Amino acid sequence: MSEPIAISLTLNGRALRATVAPNRVLADLIRQDQALTGTKIGCDQGTCGACTVLVDGIVTASCSTFAWQVDGKMVTTIEGVATNGALDPVQESFKSRSAFQCGYCTPGMILLAKALLAADPNPSRATIRDWISANVCRCTGYQMIIEAVEDAAQRVREGAQ
Amino acid sequence: MNDLAVPLRAIGGSRPRIDADLKVTGAARYTTDLELPRMLHAKTLRSPHAHARLASIDASAARTMPGVHAVITRDDLKGLNPTYGYFIKDMPIVAIDKVRYIGDPVAAVAAETEEQAVRALERIAVRYEELPTVATIEAALAPDAAALFETPQMGIVPAYGVGASGFKEPMKNVCYRFAYTFGDKAAFARADHVFTDEFRFSRLQHYFLEPFVALARVEAGQIELWTSTQSPFALRKELARVFNHPEQAIRIHVPLMGAGYGGKNNCKAEPIAILLAKLAGRPVRFCMTQEENFLTQSQHAAVHRLETAVAKDGRFIARRARVLLDAGAYSDASPLVAEKAGYRSHGPYRWEHVDSAADCVMTNTTPAGPFRGFGGTQASWASESQIDMIARRLGIDPVALRKKNLLKLREAYCPGESGMDSDLAEGLDVVCREIGYGRGEKKRGRGIGIAIGFKDSGGINKPAEAVVKVTTTGGIIINSGSIEIGQGVHSAYTRIVAELFNAPTERVSYAPINTDVTPYDQGTNASSGIVVMGVAVERAARACIDQVLAFAAEQLKCRADELRLDNWSVVKGNEAHPLMPMIMRKFGGTGYEFSGRGYFKAENDHHAPLETKCVSWEFGWGAAEVEVDEETGKVTVLQLVVSGDAGRAIDEAVCRGQDEGAAVMGLGQALFEGMQYEGPVLANLAAAKYRVPLASDLPERFRSITQEQGHGPGPFGSKGIGEGGLLPVAPAIANAIEDAVGVRISSLPLTPEKVLAALEAKRAAKR
Repeated sequence: MSEPIAISLTLNGRALRATVAPNRVLADLIRQDQALTGTKIGCDQGTCGACTVLVDGIVTASCSTFAWQVDGKMVTTIEGVATNGALDPVQESFKSRSAFQCGYCTPGMILLAKALLAADPNPSRATIRDWISANVCRCTGYQMIIEAVEDAAQRVREGAQ
Repeated sequence: MNDLAVPLRAIGGSRPRIDADLKVTGAARYTTDLELPRMLHAKTLRSPHAHARLASIDASAARTMPGVHAVITRDDLKGLNPTYGYFIKDMPIVAIDKVRYIGDPVAAVAAETEEQAVRALERIAVRYEELPTVATIEAALAPDAAALFETPQMGIVPAYGVGASGFKEPMKNVCYRFAYTFGDKAAFARADHVFTDEFRFSRLQHYFLEPFVALARVEAGQIELWTSTQSPFALRKELARVFNHPEQAIRIHVPLMGAGYGGKNNCKAEPIAILLAKLAGRPVRFCMTQEENFLTQSQHAAVHRLETAVAKDGRFIARRARVLLDAGAYSDASPLVAEKAGYRSHGPYRWEHVDSAADCVMTNTTPAGPFRGFGGTQASWASESQIDMIARRLGIDPVALRKKNLLKLREAYCPGESGMDSDLAEGLDVVCREIGYGRGEKKRGRGIGIAIGFKDSGGINKPAEAVVKVTTTGGIIINSGSIEIGQGVHSAYTRIVAELFNAPTERVSYAPINTDVTPYDQGTNASSGIVVMGVAVERAARACIDQVLAFAAEQLKCRADELRLDNWSVVKGNEAHPLMPMIMRKFGGTGYEFSGRGYFKAENDHHAPLETKCVSWEFGWGAAEVEVDEETGKVTVLQLVVSGDAGRAIDEAVCRGQDEGAAVMGLGQALFEGMQYEGPVLANLAAAKYRVPLASDLPERFRSITQEQGHGPGPFGSKGIGEGGLLPVAPAIANAIEDAVGVRISSLPLTPEKVLAALEAKRAAKR
């Protein structure tokens, strides 16, 4: 039961082979083994969403996912969102609208917004609100985050034209 | 200085914060993200009993467990002053004679991995002798109540000015009492009415996402600490006392913080991390779990009784306030919270006589400590609820009643105190207009309530010092102890300094916090970042600029007052002289750095009740429209409007974020959030059981309005804005409920059960 498991995955676009204990969670693989500390651990119970990453594009609480569960999958953390140093439109929107305060929930919120815009490039305010309700932000009161996601959707649409 | 007509280049509007790129890319490093070579991990054993004598503790088996390098029990505290606190030093690093709440630390282990540390904790044998518990304020004050402390604890009562007094341990299970009075109590006899009402305030968990965390290294007599704290200098002093360690050999670094909301002050994770590091001879990281946050600190629950004397025309005459704060098991900052809960209980209104007392009542629950609003939230909840009740009893419009009694701009809060630095009536008009107060016809089940949240801001007797340096090439570096906790203070200073240097903000940076080199600051709290340290930063920038201009004047053989700075040139008449070549000419190849120091502290003043006049006053004007379902008691907030006065907004988006974030905290407290104790057991311990507001909880219409009245004592007329938005929300909603359906709920949260019970009682009374 405690035999290490060999896994291979794509982490932020790079192939990664790792041997993990069966009880090792994805968040520890990311933060400790890969030193990608942008992924935060808040509640460590899959409730607050600070540890959100994308697994094959799906919003995932990395604190409550075993590392072996992502074998063969594509994992995106906040460090994989910008391309060649250029911010993603969602990051641009959070930045230009100061849609963060302490920043501890921000990586998770940005990945949540990325998944939303992939699923629905033209979300209504109500849809954004529903999606953002998956994660906790104790600082901002959410409204500026919702507006940043609206702004990001517009940036993405304009960029696609 | 307060002239809003002066065009500014770097102040105002909304611009990306200096921490934006770090925070949106995941590059931001918090204490939780740090590692040191050979670092060990700490875990604590916590008491399962709310109140028990620690009969024996045996950790010998744990000490030999795999990977274990150090263990702390009460036997490992020799040579230390092992208790800490603010005024009263009553909380031990680990339990010594007794445990006083469920979660009280009893032992700690440092091991190679967290898992090994947890395994070792399981091998510590503890024998408890259970004692009777006191879980509530009422139980703790009962004559036959068990005492949490049998003997007086080490502590002080600070000096107070006219009318104020403090009492350490005035009675059993009360660790501190603050009292304040002015005027003649005979005023009560002159009143037409005296209304006595009691209000109950709930207890929030701070719920910061970054837990209490510290990383400590003790090498060659040097303690080095990286920690998530709002007050590194106060912490350094306290750690020096606890560890009998010279202050100059304690170095504290504070990275970015994953928030604090007031909670990250004084000793929390730090003493255990340091002591384990010292014993192990290796660095130790102690990162609490979120459950441990719940077991380390909370807001203060309160019972707030107000006797308020008024004339029949609505003029306020006198108020007697009796506040009982649930301090939990250890005093922590409770005496300071009591000062503010007592001092703020009469609100920003005119009185002939005030008599307040606030007691910190010890219970066998999580210790309560500083929380955004700091006693002002409790006081605003009670006072603004009662003022509405009085208005309805007298048949006077609640807004008109407030306006009749509100202090005017510049009018002193009380004898010896500073004046209001906002126009309160003007602020009230802003939210009334926005919510549509008094407009439209009243619909069944709907109502509007307003409230004015109130607190002093800028802290008490706070010295602050800052250094601003400028390099040969014009790079500006700010050094100050203000911690970036999310509020955007580093960005704000950057903007202020850029404005003064007439430089783009990109040329300004903020130095990391390191107590060895960072100038002194008492702490990032009390909305003091702008009105206290902001002034020190402004003065430091001006001192630095003066040096640059004096240097340039010498080089150009003119007077300094003939020169002004423009983007790292000095301008004399129409001629610009770049500074860099001038500096290189005088100082040679390596160039130079100019630096200026700035200092600020409100003057000591014994005529002021708290020994210095309050630097500033913070207001949160709030208005809520609710719909109450009379069948279920469910309250739906249709509209929520909050407004603070930034004096002058350094950054509009940041000010808005402060107000909205605070307001949503208040919304949670108003409607559903709170730590629920069943006896001494915290029933909703942990994130999965404790509900905080989510985006789905936002009212259909939620507006915040940042006023810029221009009267603030900070740079360019600015004021602090970090707390005010929280204060009016709960009373505004309670007032709206009464407006909607005619029932008054005087305890938080305003749950459907309470509303329905009140509606049924009202129906029963009619029958």
